[in-house]
Amino acid sequence: MNAVDGSDHFGRASHDQAPSLLTIILDTNPAAWSLLSSTLPFSSAIANILVFINAHLAGNYTNKVAVIASHCDRATWLYPTPTEQKPPPPRSSSSSADPNNRTADGASGVRHDLSESTKRLKLNPHDANNDHDSSKTPLNLDSSSPSSLETGNKYRPFRLVEEEVLQNLTALLSSTTPDAVSRSPTTMIAGALTLALSYINRESIAYAESLIGMTAAVAETSTTGATGGGGGGVSSSTTTTGDASTNSSLQSRILLVSVSPSTDLAHQYIPIMNAIFACQRLAIPIDIMQLPLPTQQGQQPQPPKQPTNNNTSTTNTTTSNSQSTSSSSSSNSTVFLQQAADATHGIFIAVQLPSPSPSLSGSTSTSDTPSTSPSSTTTTKASQAFLSYLLASLLPSPSTRAAHLILPTRIDVDFRAACFCHRNVVSIGFVCSICLSIFCSVPDNGDCLTCGTHLSLGRYGARPVVVAKKSKKKQHSAAAK
Amino acid sequence: MADTTLQSWEYLETLPGTQFYRLYRSPASALAIFRKRLTSLAKTFVMMLLYMPAPLPVKQLELFVKDASRGEREYAIDLLHRYHIFKDVSYNGAKAHALTPDFARSLRRALTGAGDSRSFGQVATHVPHGQKVTIAQLDEYARQRWEGILGYMVGSSAVPLESTTTEHQAAMQPSPGVIELLKAGHLIELSGTHSRGQTAKITKEGFAFVLQDINTQIWALLFLYVDNAEVFEMDKVDVLSFLFFVSSLELGLAYSTAPLDETQQRCLSDLVSFGIVYQPLRDDGTPVDFFYPTRLATTLTSDSSTTLSATNTTIGSSLSKSSSSSSQSSSGTAKGFIIVETNYRLYAYTSSPLQIALLSLFVNLRSRHPNLVTGKMSKSSVQRAIQAGITADQIISYLTSHAHPQMRRHAQAEQARNSDPNLVVPILPATILDQIHLWQLERDRMTTTPGFLLKDFPNHADYEAPCRYADEIGVLVWKNDKKRMFFVNRIEGVRSFMAERRANAQG
Repeated sequence: MNAVDGSDHFGRASHDQAPSLLTIILDTNPAAWSLLSSTLPFSSAIANILVFINAHLAGNYTNKVAVIASHCDRATWLYPTPTEQKPPPPRSSSSSADPNNRTADGASGVRHDLSESTKRLKLNPHDANNDHDSSKTPLNLDSSSPSSLETGNKYRPFRLVEEEVLQNLTALLSSTTPDAVSRSPTTMIAGALTLALSYINRESIAYAESLIGMTAAVAETSTTGATGGGGGGVSSSTTTTGDASTNSSLQSRILLVSVSPSTDLAHQYIPIMNAIFACQRLAIPIDIMQLPLPTQQGQQPQPPKQPTNNNTSTTNTTTSNSQSTSSSSSSNSTVFLQQAADATHGIFIAVQLPSPSPSLSGSTSTSDTPSTSPSSTTTTKASQAFLSYLLASLLPSPSTRAAHLILPTRIDVDFRAACFCHRNVVSIGFVCSICLSIFCSVPDNGDCLTCGTHLSLGRYGARPVVVAKKSKKKQHSAAAK
Repeated sequence: MADTTLQSWEYLETLPGTQFYRLYRSPASALAIFRKRLTSLAKTFVMMLLYMPAPLPVKQLELFVKDASRGEREYAIDLLHRYHIFKDVSYNGAKAHALTPDFARSLRRALTGAGDSRSFGQVATHVPHGQKVTIAQLDEYARQRWEGILGYMVGSSAVPLESTTTEHQAAMQPSPGVIELLKAGHLIELSGTHSRGQTAKITKEGFAFVLQDINTQIWALLFLYVDNAEVFEMDKVDVLSFLFFVSSLELGLAYSTAPLDETQQRCLSDLVSFGIVYQPLRDDGTPVDFFYPTRLATTLTSDSSTTLSATNTTIGSSLSKSSSSSSQSSSGTAKGFIIVETNYRLYAYTSSPLQIALLSLFVNLRSRHPNLVTGKMSKSSVQRAIQAGITADQIISYLTSHAHPQMRRHAQAEQARNSDPNLVVPILPATILDQIHLWQLERDRMTTTPGFLLKDFPNHADYEAPCRYADEIGVLVWKNDKKRMFFVNRIEGVRSFMAERRANAQG
């Protein structure tokens, strides 16, 4: 009688949905978005991302979302708004001396910067100086129009998130000076990742506490250390996807919408890699959505080493470390982001924008699409394609993905690393035998730059020789003894 | 299996498609159905298709899903068809899935806030200052109302409630309409005449009802309400979409009644008597033109069955709190209050008469202290409950959902020590779980499942294919390979499968 018991199984499965936290890191690098403006304007991209956020929130009553802007000179919160800080106001030109310093020391550095900026609140005389961003700031979403505020056309949780995101984003863009944009053409991915991780950790602990009540979770998780905390049972086995214990922990993931393929992320290599390893340990997938810049420098998966400077390097001149990075920068971002997605079992999607696939372009449903830019059909198509990518591939929660879905993965992941000395991307390099630091050339004196160990190089440069049989035998006999 | 929720939601599934389309015209309803009723895979499919301009061929949809999850995929698609969200179309000569236009439009509107349907409530802007209501007050109001209904049912059972319920501050007597509804749902039986005052007697279904979690109870009652809507000359679909509308509102905000039509106004006044919304009265007794949804309303479409979502614990705890002033201070932190030991002893930190009455349904209570009740489960006590129509699963789920944090912590510590992450450590001791089931099995040796028997298949292949399909979509209850017979509890999917198979064979 009870031999076949399918219905019971399905009955349970239908409700087996743990809350999931989606952290979106949005690359708001103005230089890159201005290049994209002809195909996918920033405003319509934001509108689509907001729809995506709503779709995520609609999936489950307890789903949560967080949005972080990875701007050209800092990483900042878009949602939720940090409590002590209303509009993020900083005069970035004064504080952004060297982006490397800040991102290298991770979240604390960024946090510090944020709180510092609050002290300078309302001292910003540069409001009028936002002509650079004037093409992007008008986000003419229908949701932001005041008429829809109280009429109840929009589910209120959706509206609250949208309003906050838009408000913070507008403040961020209007406070960005042309000076700051020209100074740092890159985007602060590492800082944003670290912000995301710390937020996820905090939310996971809060969720675990709400499950058990009281402070048991803290006592239990504190043993695993500050970064390893929230995962709890998940993190016990580092590389598994953690789908097994879906019920007991908050499922978190990070979605990175990256638009700056030409940036040199190599100087953020170490912090990015640290963030990736933390995500790997906590079983947090990092999804990457890579938007291509338009054709002027070709599609983004470029052959690795191009000796020529690429065209954005004109803005690059002021940064100190540009001499070697700009040469190979065109592919760097995809290198590390591919690795991020691969190591954390996330999804890497290189979007093809004005979609060549005809199935996405014959639009029957444009009347309801949120694409607000009324301009040419290519932008509508592009934004529709963008949204389809988001909804079709990146929406399912980690547990659903692990259990049921075949993911659009990338097989040919580029595993090259950046060297620690010049931030070059190398495929063959020197590795310190003590601390595993990577160098593109032999360090001075043979001293490792990271741990200081003196490394003897042996007969470097000699051609490899087939080892004689005799020595092998010797080893065997030695082992036998 | 007396699972009233499933019955209730299946009731919804029996509505004809046209009614569904009308229901889906409201974005709030589409959103609520989407969130509450679909599996995660079904949600994935819906979102995948939502902004796709063309239908998605069946073959392509299959590419998205792992082979091992075929069963889930079939179930999700079947579910989507049952709720009239998917429809089969033919696209470029191939069979394809598409969203039904009403649902798709409404869900898109819900996500983007487009259109002018105003289905998410209009916030009242002119609430007089003196009449502002805090969330705590709303919780208290909802608790009083709901505990009043439950107390009325339980209090009428063989286990008499203590006199504390009738004190002031305590739960309110449910309104005549509610009692009528309970009677209509066979949750209680009334005896006596109107003039003498009626005495209510709780039925088997009623016992099952009171032990369920709050969300399930509310839905069960609301579906009763919808089912009886035509008696009150209201349209089922209107009532349903109003319920979904209420569930999409935000706790702690006042909403204007101005945009509501007449049916909705009537619904509103009924929901007031359930404690689902709160509408203050003017001095002359007429309701004001705004209302507050309580936590009972705003958690309607949350998915409570996933152990404990944060909101549900809040209302659960506020409902399990005793209303008597003595426990007000102590109940601030506690979410659960029951500790069960492996020796069947049970300690419940509560002084709520309702909870004590519920416990006494299946526990031999030994002693009572100011904030603690102790007792022991025994074969006779559990079987007494089972005889009264309560199932073992209901007892277990009641104990689990009200388990003391200490027990949860213990279970989680066990889980962390466990090397196999697939093994979920139950909150209650395993011996207790098994024993309660065994006690039930001593009485219940037979279960009945309504459904359809398929037999007389001409050959084994004809038998095998639909049988396997039925297993995949989860409707197969029993099969016998030798006799080529199998039994399903739903026929629609299998029927269409067999028709299609026959068509393929011929064509």
